[in-house]
Amino acid sequence: MGRQHHLSLTSLKLAAALCAGVSSAALLPTAASADEALVIARQLDINSLDPARGFCDTCQIYFSNVYETLIGLGKDNSTLTPRLATKWEANADQSQFTFHLDPDAKFSDGSPVEAKDVAWTFDRLKNVKGGAAFMMDGVNSVEAKDAHTVVVTLAGPSSEFLNIVSAPYTGIINSDVAAANGATAAADAETTDKAETWFLANSAGSGPYQLANYKPDDELRFKANPEYKRSKVAVPDIVIKHTKDAVTQAQLLESGEADIAMQIDPDTAKTLKTDKLNVETIPSYNFLYVAIAPGAKGAPKLTKEIRQAIGYALDYDGIIEFTVGGAGAKTPAPIPNGFPGTAGLPEPKQDVAKAKELLAKAGVPDGFEINSEFPSMNSYGVDLSLLAQKIQQDLSKVGIKVNLTPQEFSVWRDHVRGDGIPLTVSFYAPDYYGSAQYLQFFGMMEGTPWFNRAGGKNDPSILNPQTAELLKKALASGGDDKEKAYHELAMGMIDDRIIIPVVSPNLVLASSKSVTGLRYSACCNLLMDELGRQ
Amino acid sequence: MTRYIVRRLLSLPLLLLGIVSIAFLISHFTQGDPLSSIVSERQMDDEQAVAAAKARWGLDKSLPEQYLVYVGNLLTGDLGISFRTKQPVSQDLLERLPATLELVIAAMLFGSLTGIALGVVAARFRDRAADHAARLWALTGSSTPVFWSGLILLYIFSVKLGWVPGPGRLDARMSPPDGITGFLTIDALLAGDTALFWDAVHHLILPALVLGWTVMGIVSRLVRASMLDVLNQDYIVAARARGAGELRVLLNHALRNALVPTLTIIGFTFAYLITGAVLTEAIFSWTGIGSYAVDAARGLDYPAIMGVTIVGGAAFLLTNLMTDIAYAFADPRIRLS
Repeated sequence: MGRQHHLSLTSLKLAAALCAGVSSAALLPTAASADEALVIARQLDINSLDPARGFCDTCQIYFSNVYETLIGLGKDNSTLTPRLATKWEANADQSQFTFHLDPDAKFSDGSPVEAKDVAWTFDRLKNVKGGAAFMMDGVNSVEAKDAHTVVVTLAGPSSEFLNIVSAPYTGIINSDVAAANGATAAADAETTDKAETWFLANSAGSGPYQLANYKPDDELRFKANPEYKRSKVAVPDIVIKHTKDAVTQAQLLESGEADIAMQIDPDTAKTLKTDKLNVETIPSYNFLYVAIAPGAKGAPKLTKEIRQAIGYALDYDGIIEFTVGGAGAKTPAPIPNGFPGTAGLPEPKQDVAKAKELLAKAGVPDGFEINSEFPSMNSYGVDLSLLAQKIQQDLSKVGIKVNLTPQEFSVWRDHVRGDGIPLTVSFYAPDYYGSAQYLQFFGMMEGTPWFNRAGGKNDPSILNPQTAELLKKALASGGDDKEKAYHELAMGMIDDRIIIPVVSPNLVLASSKSVTGLRYSACCNLLMDELGRQ
Repeated sequence: MTRYIVRRLLSLPLLLLGIVSIAFLISHFTQGDPLSSIVSERQMDDEQAVAAAKARWGLDKSLPEQYLVYVGNLLTGDLGISFRTKQPVSQDLLERLPATLELVIAAMLFGSLTGIALGVVAARFRDRAADHAARLWALTGSSTPVFWSGLILLYIFSVKLGWVPGPGRLDARMSPPDGITGFLTIDALLAGDTALFWDAVHHLILPALVLGWTVMGIVSRLVRASMLDVLNQDYIVAARARGAGELRVLLNHALRNALVPTLTIIGFTFAYLITGAVLTEAIFSWTGIGSYAVDAARGLDYPAIMGVTIVGGAAFLLTNLMTDIAYAFADPRIRLS
């Protein structure tokens, strides 16, 4: 009887609690209070949380907020600013750099950030051969001269090295903690490093935040690093909630379940209620491009004249209108507008008559047929299927018949790296602020990914003999000379017409009215320590 | 009956091995490069990096070798590491399976119970307004694609009316309860956190309705057809002649017999939904097996594809067995041997 009575009481209590739950305001989201976690809706495209292995847009955000870099990028997205390194010097030919570390900088476990950690991090990034290992290409040695002085010696001059060490992938790791959990920076780290799983659940950086929790395809949770003193962290808990598409991100933002949405496309942005939200559309450094591969298997004749004809046949304004509703910009060369060397580049224009004239001169006045495979996906708010269809439509006006085949990204990448694809479309976002990365990826010189993909081995005529020499000159110079060299390089890429950028989609920054400090960073996407609530 | 069940259980591993072998071959003969999930675009042109990645993930071995290694590991319970999440596949599945089961069970309960009720009402009032309304509702449920109904219902009830929360299993500002069962509703109750429990329930309502509507459509049409058959049988006439009440005739005499074919459908639908709730999971950002399977397939994440196949195969085999057993209980004339 007594037991029955106890059970009844328990049941009553539970029922009362449940009823209280029903009637409480906890049912539906309301505006977030200042002490609640700030929620960011975006797609979690994470492939690793290990700085030596991860390489993705969300990785940029994670690394830049958890692992401080030596140098930062200012709010103008071009000036280098002190971060872990309070000052730095380069030798005369920019092949050796000395960094002086902040003696007060501490990792999240309270231990000091020292030169040995920098040397270990850079060695590991190079030797693990993960996503961003190319950033350490040309680094001959990283030497800890004393606890707070690091000397990096390169194989040759690189005026862009300072920009590279502002990239989030070069964030400094607490070497003692990581090594104790299976990480190594040894030459054979690509096979002996066992720390990737550890990095999925732990962090060891000196940035404003540390990892609180990560659930793949669900959420990435940050908590403030109490040892971080460089700026005041106003929002102690931040969650990136995995939200795949722009419409859902907008819904979460409008319902108050998210405070910031990061991947809303311009069309969806038009539907947002601006009386309740801050919606800002700004130019981005991302672009989408058409790529022509003269040496691809099954490619028709694609001489420079024919490639230039393709460039003239494209309706750039129409593409921007069709793919992003006009919310984008033209990019003359495969280097983002605003990066070194891009000032004063000629804007691309459609000229169908000129395209036909060039085709006639090349001996194909009636055009030709060309196969095109493209990744079937949405990138930076642009549906690549729509883009490919628009290009097909434009080229048909000069007699070029494009046979479109959408592919899964993995299949497309296999094909583009294998036999090559005569005509395709793809996308690119900067890894740091600097133009050399574009030459090293798109330039028509031996060994670059796009020289190989365009079939340089089958058709050596696409090699631009000046590119390698000019790039060397650009990397060895500074100031106006550097600007001029990159400008010349950009003009060369425009003339090559292997990569034809067609649209740089604008970026939509959408947030609730209470959020402050939201901005787009060219190096890091989003710097969370600048965020606040009013 | 016991011998039958033991025999069926003993045959499960062999059947699973068959499923694993076929899935292994199909996934490995698919076009595309699994390295795209592992090696970044810039590193793909670095032969050393590609070779290191292949060696690390066992992709440098021949297909028969890869198969033997996989099956060998499988026997020890090791499903491998996901190329994409970099976590053990078994851990990924354990994290996601409860999410799917929570959704599917809620959807099945809603769909089956309302489907049976609608089927009975439709059969009882054959060719009258209630029958037409029930059939129209059922037809709409079974023929409306979930990607459409999900988005529309989400827009109306979450964005416009604000009656239910948006996508996800829990408000992102809340910390999930300690994962004892993985069912957020149960774990929240076990943790004594009623606010968390109600938040989980409210997040469950809309996806369960969307998924359950399809089930309801199928079940109600089947129950209606079976009920119409049964209601014409002599024993129903006899029951009525003996003065049995209409409710008793419908529920005790007719429905019990009409449910036998429905059980098969409910069983198969349950198994199907475990791996087939893909669209619902995608629309409602539900981190379950379905969305995991899609991401695995798109990224050619072989270990994850195999893991999902094993779970899906086991679900079909087990529900098939349970349906057969339930058959025997529902209809004593059926003898399993």
